[in-house]
Amino acid sequence: MREQIARYSAKLLADRSASPGRIAIAVQDDLLFGVGDEPEAKLAEQILAKLNALALVVAHPSLPFADLLIRRSPPTCRQIVPNDTENRTFLHDIPFIREEEQDDTLAEQIATLLGGRKGVIVEGIGLIAVGAITVEQAYINYSSLFHSTFVKYLQDLLVQGFFLPREEETFGAFRRHWLLPLTGGDLAFRPGKLEQREAILDEMARVGRYTVERGLVDSFFGNISCRSGNLIYISQTGASLDALPGCIDPVPFDNSSTTGITASSELLAHRRIYESGEATTILHGHPRFAVVMSMLCEESDCRVADCWKECPKVRYLGDTPVVAGEIGAGGLAKKVPPVIAGPGKAIVYGHGVFTTGGEGFQEPLLRMIEVENWCRDEYFRRLDLHGER
Amino acid sequence: MTGWTGRMLSVNLTTGKSSIDEIPEKLLHAYLGGRGLGVRLMRESHRLDPFDPALPLIFSVGPLCGTPAPTAARLSVVSRSPLTGTIYDCSAGGRFAWRLKSAGYDVLRIVGRSPTPVTLVVGDSGAELFAADHLWGKRVSITVAALKKGGSVAAIGPAGENGVLFANIMMGEGNSVGRGGLGAIMGDKRLKAIVVNGSRTSIIAHPERFQTARADVMRLFRASPVIFGELGLAEYGTPALVDLMKQRRMAPTNNFQGTWFAESDNYSGPAMRRECAPVKDGCHGCPIQCKKSTPQGEHLPEYESVSHFGALNGIADLSAIVRANTLCNELGMDTVSAAATVAAWGEARGKFSQADEMSGILERIAQRQGVGELLAQGSRRAMEELDRPELSMSVKSLELPAYDPRGAYGMALAYCTSNRGGCHLRAYPISHEVLRKPVATDRFSFSGKARIIAIAEDTNAAVDSLIACKFSFLGATLEEYAELLAAATGVEYTPQGLKEIGNRICLTERFYNCANGFSVSHDRLPDRFFTEAGSSGDGILIPPLDRERFDQELQKYYRIRGLTTEGTFGDSGFLERQP
Repeated sequence: MREQIARYSAKLLADRSASPGRIAIAVQDDLLFGVGDEPEAKLAEQILAKLNALALVVAHPSLPFADLLIRRSPPTCRQIVPNDTENRTFLHDIPFIREEEQDDTLAEQIATLLGGRKGVIVEGIGLIAVGAITVEQAYINYSSLFHSTFVKYLQDLLVQGFFLPREEETFGAFRRHWLLPLTGGDLAFRPGKLEQREAILDEMARVGRYTVERGLVDSFFGNISCRSGNLIYISQTGASLDALPGCIDPVPFDNSSTTGITASSELLAHRRIYESGEATTILHGHPRFAVVMSMLCEESDCRVADCWKECPKVRYLGDTPVVAGEIGAGGLAKKVPPVIAGPGKAIVYGHGVFTTGGEGFQEPLLRMIEVENWCRDEYFRRLDLHGER
Repeated sequence: MTGWTGRMLSVNLTTGKSSIDEIPEKLLHAYLGGRGLGVRLMRESHRLDPFDPALPLIFSVGPLCGTPAPTAARLSVVSRSPLTGTIYDCSAGGRFAWRLKSAGYDVLRIVGRSPTPVTLVVGDSGAELFAADHLWGKRVSITVAALKKGGSVAAIGPAGENGVLFANIMMGEGNSVGRGGLGAIMGDKRLKAIVVNGSRTSIIAHPERFQTARADVMRLFRASPVIFGELGLAEYGTPALVDLMKQRRMAPTNNFQGTWFAESDNYSGPAMRRECAPVKDGCHGCPIQCKKSTPQGEHLPEYESVSHFGALNGIADLSAIVRANTLCNELGMDTVSAAATVAAWGEARGKFSQADEMSGILERIAQRQGVGELLAQGSRRAMEELDRPELSMSVKSLELPAYDPRGAYGMALAYCTSNRGGCHLRAYPISHEVLRKPVATDRFSFSGKARIIAIAEDTNAAVDSLIACKFSFLGATLEEYAELLAAATGVEYTPQGLKEIGNRICLTERFYNCANGFSVSHDRLPDRFFTEAGSSGDGILIPPLDRERFDQELQKYYRIRGLTTEGTFGDSGFLERQP
């Protein structure tokens, strides 16, 4: 347990989603204990003691977006509802507790909310996420909270602009200091076509790690695959892309074995992409600016309400096609293959980016970086324009 | 009241009388329905002998039954098991549950013993008994065919009539109330079959909220590779697990002497698709349709059945396995316990049964003829009689299913803590130790497993009381089902609240068991798993379980549950404090 706490505390720092010095994780096996910074660790213990769950993360996010979302919301509002896929599918909505509502029953207040949801925002304190059966699960839920609040805040800014005191300056600090240049030029890749099992597994593990380290995907989302002969080597469902060794399934193209039942939920999409083009590698991540920009739609008089799954159009962000479609058997596997064959890249509405390569993983990783950089530039161009208006 | 009907139909087979009683709303809110409500209704009867005519046989549906909640057209049958001696429940699908709810009942409670074989017919206006001498001795399909015009049928076969301790109650659609021998209780009551029909529809308190929650559940189903993936349960049924268990080296082979069977490819999901051309089949209103049948309507075996008639008995012939499965269904007999008991006998006599011998053995068990008289008692009693008790691969006399505990340590613990004996479904650790849902855990580690198993038992007790199918939770969570429940009933529930209800149910079951003499000495795996290695290979090592670590984790489990080191209750007043 302590080893897991150390691992996921380190991940919260490595992925820059939590503030150093304000991270705690509590677990309960037969005993309950919290590890980490105070007062977060004490609070984590108090909350978890009231829940039928194994682990809890309390951490102050490295960005103020969750708190800003609370302050921007109407006084009667009790939860935020981001539109991205991670939230829509797994979190539904994110309840919050305002600073003025907090009293000496705070642990009880938080536990009550966590009795119904995987995570909660507590203004001034941070993001609090529960893991029903593992520490990793608490980390994953924290990570999804961070991702969804990031996406929601940036999305709202484009529509509503800044309106809180000192909000623009706070955001400027994020833009200047938190955001890092996104490059891939310094990365090493295995050259040529990947054909041998060991080489494929090694390269998938390496590129998966690059994808996480570059912030192109969070927690256990995203997937990666390589086609070799009659096999698709694909990351398993719920596998973290930075921890892939032992978590890659070889799936026969002809479905002569069902061991791939544990493969990524996007196996069908990967298969269809391989069947409909020349790709031999596929990478899928959730880069945040691409997710934000994919939901920016300027259609007027459109009757589609559930855009993320029902939008029939192919829109473009630069030269990257954007399509709708839900995870797994929900439609993405039909919509992505027809549009990705040419450009080797496609964005799924509110979800993430798929990129392909002819041989090796350099091409898909660099393509994903290129898509995200274009979306980042375009986001700030539009935000700046909004400010000028 | 929405969600529940609040009515219980009680039938006394000794007197032939029936009555309709109100179920206190407080109990419905506190125990939901299904397993939880059934277990609560056993409070005054849990110490009765399984063959005491006064012992109730309880059919209990849940508040979501009758609504479009995915996988919720199920019921639990609750009583005391003649095989294990424990409190016992089994969840079953089909159409019976939906029709019982349509008839206006949450619970059908049957007590007494009829002097002659009878059929019970339940409808909107109550219950009627009809003579069933002409059906006594008949196989299940003949019985169902004779009665199905009147509605959905739950029937026993010759195994139940003859008191086979692992006799099933079979639903007319092919689903079974399996494992613990409740078919033998029905047979002892001389109740050949129950037919239900009804015309009422369920009212949902908040339809719009319900639809939103339903859409959330369906989205998660579609996002789950295990449910709707192209290699998942909707496509291949549970035999999709055959290849996986082989690859993970945890497929019990030759009565658990090994954990890898070279020829399991013969009966894998793809092999069954190739050889049997299966079509989708399943429970009323279920979007998954995981059951598979031949185009002629013969039900194909589930993973546990195919693996136990296969690897566990060293049989690689798919057609023989399908035949054995069909025969068990016809005779009304549990496939897992039947196959495991035959396998134990095979090891005891030094010769596993051949594929072409299996049908004859199963027939003799159901009729209690020849060696069937020995094997009809289940493996624990049979092996004790042969003076080879160590060969019964069971916990609390319930034969272990097709997940070798040396390949999944949470499974090892869960087999022992299960209140109904060696069952994989109480905590279903296969979901995280193998299928990576909701997240993956290390299958070769005991770390954290005591807490994980306790939480999962609580969760699944709530699921069994809603009732929903366990497979739903390979995609969705209690979060979405709590929302469905609140929308259906108008009573607010949260996942945490549901787990608290689950905890109450699990502890109540444990309390009943302790009252009947169960303790730490019954929470034991067979010695084989601590002394013999499984079939290592392909870089996967399957060593024997570490007994010291296992015992430590079991003691942790007891502490988490608030039990003594003996696995019993320090507080004898526990039950009185429960609603």
